[in-house]
Amino acid sequence: MSGAPLLAIEGLTLRYGRGPGSLRAVHDVSLSIAPGEAYGLIGESGSGKSSIAFAVVDHLRGGAVEAGRILLHGRDLLRLPPAERAGLRGRQVAMVYQDPHSALNPAIPVGEQIAEAVRRHEGASRRAAAARAVELLGRVHLPEPAGMARRYPHQLSGGQQQRIVIAMALACRPALLIMDEPTTGLDVTTEAVILDLIAELRRAFGVAILFISHNLGVVAQVCDRVGVLYAGAMMEQGDTATILRQPRNPYTRGLLNAIPRRGEGHRRLAAMPGGLPDLTTAIAGCVFAPRCGLAREACTTAAPALVPVGPAHQSRCHFPAESLPPAPPMAEGAAPAAAAAAPLLRLEGVRKTFAQPGGWPFARRRLLAAVDGVSLEVAAGETLAIVGESGSGKSTLARCVVGLTAPSAGRVTLDGVPLGGLAEARPQSARRQLQVVFQNPEASLNPAQTVAEILARPLRLYGLCTAAEVPVRVAALLAAVQLGGRFAGRRPRQLSGGEKQRLCIARAFAAAPRLVVCDEPTSALDISVQAALLNELLDLQQAHGTAYLFISHDLGVVRHVAHRIAVMYLGLVVETGPAEAVFAPPHHPYTEALVSALPAIEHEPGRPRIRLAGAMPDPASPPRGCVFHPRCPRKLGPVCETEAPPLRQVSARHTLQCHIPLADLAAMQAA
Amino acid sequence: MRRHLMLRGGAFPLGVLLLLILAPSIAPHSPTDFNPASILQEPGADFLFGTDEYGRDVLSRILHGVRPTLFLALACAGLGVALGAPTGLLAGYAGGRVDEALMRAMDVLMSFPALILAMLIVVMLGPNTINVIVAIGVVFWPRSARLIRSVTQDLARREFVDAARARGEPVLSILLREILPNIAGIVIVDFTLRVAAAILLTASLSYLGIGVKPPTPAWGLMVKEGQQFLQIAPWLVIFPCLAIGIVSVGTVLTGDRLRRAAALAEGRAR
Repeated sequence: MSGAPLLAIEGLTLRYGRGPGSLRAVHDVSLSIAPGEAYGLIGESGSGKSSIAFAVVDHLRGGAVEAGRILLHGRDLLRLPPAERAGLRGRQVAMVYQDPHSALNPAIPVGEQIAEAVRRHEGASRRAAAARAVELLGRVHLPEPAGMARRYPHQLSGGQQQRIVIAMALACRPALLIMDEPTTGLDVTTEAVILDLIAELRRAFGVAILFISHNLGVVAQVCDRVGVLYAGAMMEQGDTATILRQPRNPYTRGLLNAIPRRGEGHRRLAAMPGGLPDLTTAIAGCVFAPRCGLAREACTTAAPALVPVGPAHQSRCHFPAESLPPAPPMAEGAAPAAAAAAPLLRLEGVRKTFAQPGGWPFARRRLLAAVDGVSLEVAAGETLAIVGESGSGKSTLARCVVGLTAPSAGRVTLDGVPLGGLAEARPQSARRQLQVVFQNPEASLNPAQTVAEILARPLRLYGLCTAAEVPVRVAALLAAVQLGGRFAGRRPRQLSGGEKQRLCIARAFAAAPRLVVCDEPTSALDISVQAALLNELLDLQQAHGTAYLFISHDLGVVRHVAHRIAVMYLGLVVETGPAEAVFAPPHHPYTEALVSALPAIEHEPGRPRIRLAGAMPDPASPPRGCVFHPRCPRKLGPVCETEAPPLRQVSARHTLQCHIPLADLAAMQAA
Repeated sequence: MRRHLMLRGGAFPLGVLLLLILAPSIAPHSPTDFNPASILQEPGADFLFGTDEYGRDVLSRILHGVRPTLFLALACAGLGVALGAPTGLLAGYAGGRVDEALMRAMDVLMSFPALILAMLIVVMLGPNTINVIVAIGVVFWPRSARLIRSVTQDLARREFVDAARARGEPVLSILLREILPNIAGIVIVDFTLRVAAAILLTASLSYLGIGVKPPTPAWGLMVKEGQQFLQIAPWLVIFPCLAIGIVSVGTVLTGDRLRRAAALAEGRAR
């Protein structure tokens, strides 16, 4: 059996719908996975990567296989009788989906759910299946497997739920595991731990993996070989290291250039213009030609073939030998106002508590401090990034700044003038100067209004121009975010995700603000779109001298845009400092873990990986002493559990809160 | 099949409109004139739906009844939605104590069975057309408010409403500019469903003798009057009942069609 692939997909073409208007989601894709091999399928949304996975497990909803074969152990799945095919699912092929929350039945204990899979596929007895479930829970490193088996999904964190789903997939010792974005919904530190687990289980079980992701860094960590999909076509395929170091396809290169990386500061990202081609019409040339920097006549008339460009390395390009021009360097932004100048925005001991009902009627309500006394300053024209995982309180802090929730204690001042808690209580000029861009562009635009109406509203509300000037100003705003005047009459649903977020940014800038709060502005977008958007934010900042309060969980993105960084954990700022300083030791152990969890494109041998155990504690009952001590890999001892850590001054503008003396911290982290 | 249903949904409002305009001219007889020569005639060639105890043509009465029946129902539904929509919008958007106060008041209204509350109000205010409209409007108020509140709550949590608040939009502007246009479709559907319910409720009130007064050819009233002859002249009850049923179902279908048309328009614009 050696040498024969476990899974071979040959010339697969998938189509959704029939006749004109049908969508060719996948076109002539071939790939093979050897037993025990991990194959990564990379692509942005709409690339067809999930459709391929669904075709393998026979879950195509509304889609149909138009051509091609899917061979498992040499047998064509598409020609098997349905009953036999269903039997293969689960026994031979198991699938792990993106959202563990919806993959688990909320009404059944997790151990029972795993045991059920074992019983169904192996015909094991109830007792044997239950024992196997507990064993599997141990294999995915869940603490106290026997107790864990009796818990319900809602009692577990997202990372724990994903472990359960993985255990369930492994329950019947499948030969192939298909993972569709298995870590996308998780926090970075959790993602790092789950990826380690996947790599470990793969070795232990000898299972082959088809790993689907939009994130090159994640794929690099898990997979032996990589295939890059674009608009349903396989653009490039080869060993992971080859693809990452010597990509030969312009799309792969563009994708790699668009990723914010460790070790590169304020660099302009190489964005790919435009978006996915319309797959409902036949495309004569190369699918990537409209966005390609190398495209010329031949690219629009003839489709290139997937040709070998090296050992076990193929690229679909007419000109595989050429390379792209390097990204234009980022003009160094005007230095933010000197520290001596009075800050534009100042937060003083801002605290926001929510009352949480107790477990019983009439029980005392528990107070939950989402933000627990945060003091920060943002200078004019500066970007302060707030970094933290979900539950750190960063979004609540952002809502306090723009007046969507009133702080329970503390002050927010703008130019030294204290602001009312809620936006309703603030003067109009303060509201105009503080604008906000939300994470989800889908929800932050009124679907009933046109683009022009959306942009005109702040102009009229704040009386920024006469009625006659409004159309001119709207056109200028659209141009500033690279949207043409033809967008003015459209409605939000006619725009792509990236265009919607551009519109949100334009709406914020319509008010001529001095500070824009950006709450995860790019986390809902594809990588190539994210790069373009970050560039635009940087351009706008330079043009208008606007300050940003940039909320993000992604250190890579933050590295690109931030002058200063504040790291939040459980409602507290544990470290603040200039961006470069925060990324380098000595830094707070939590920052260290965040930096270490950044999926690395380049292997950095010798660099120890820090992994955090467990999940963030319940903010309603934060740990005593240092809030980070239960998960801290550098914990000193009992002092961390009893006393709040002192504020340590690394440099004039760089502080962190830790019991470990700075010199020791630097020595530990340099090792 | 689906297209067929849609067609009928579209034909219905046109048909009703035509009847509204033409009813008096196509009715074969007078709806109110007594005709002692042809009392309680069975349905036949002369009188398609038969005649009542005064010899009035049932078909003509039903045709003339379209106008009062429908106008009354539209007025009732209009008042109900006009009261319920602002209440629901405010409660759903403001939340907290405002929501609590408004919705508990609505719960009090809801706790009365619809017909009993309507009767109570009509009897208290005196039985005339205006008071029937007020009574049924009040009956619909909490039902409409609840629906609008729940969709408003959904929308109020969306970030474009947050954006409007942060921008400093006044509450009225948020309700009318940001939220209302997005629930207009639901308000319209709610309205059409209320029209159907109002036809039945007004009929019930007339039947109980506290609605519109004779000799208006309102359908509910016809059912009530015909009831005493149920044994010997069942057509007096059957035909008005059929009319009520057809118009109610038709209104519901129309509402459904409107909802689908709105969804379709959205899909096409994509």
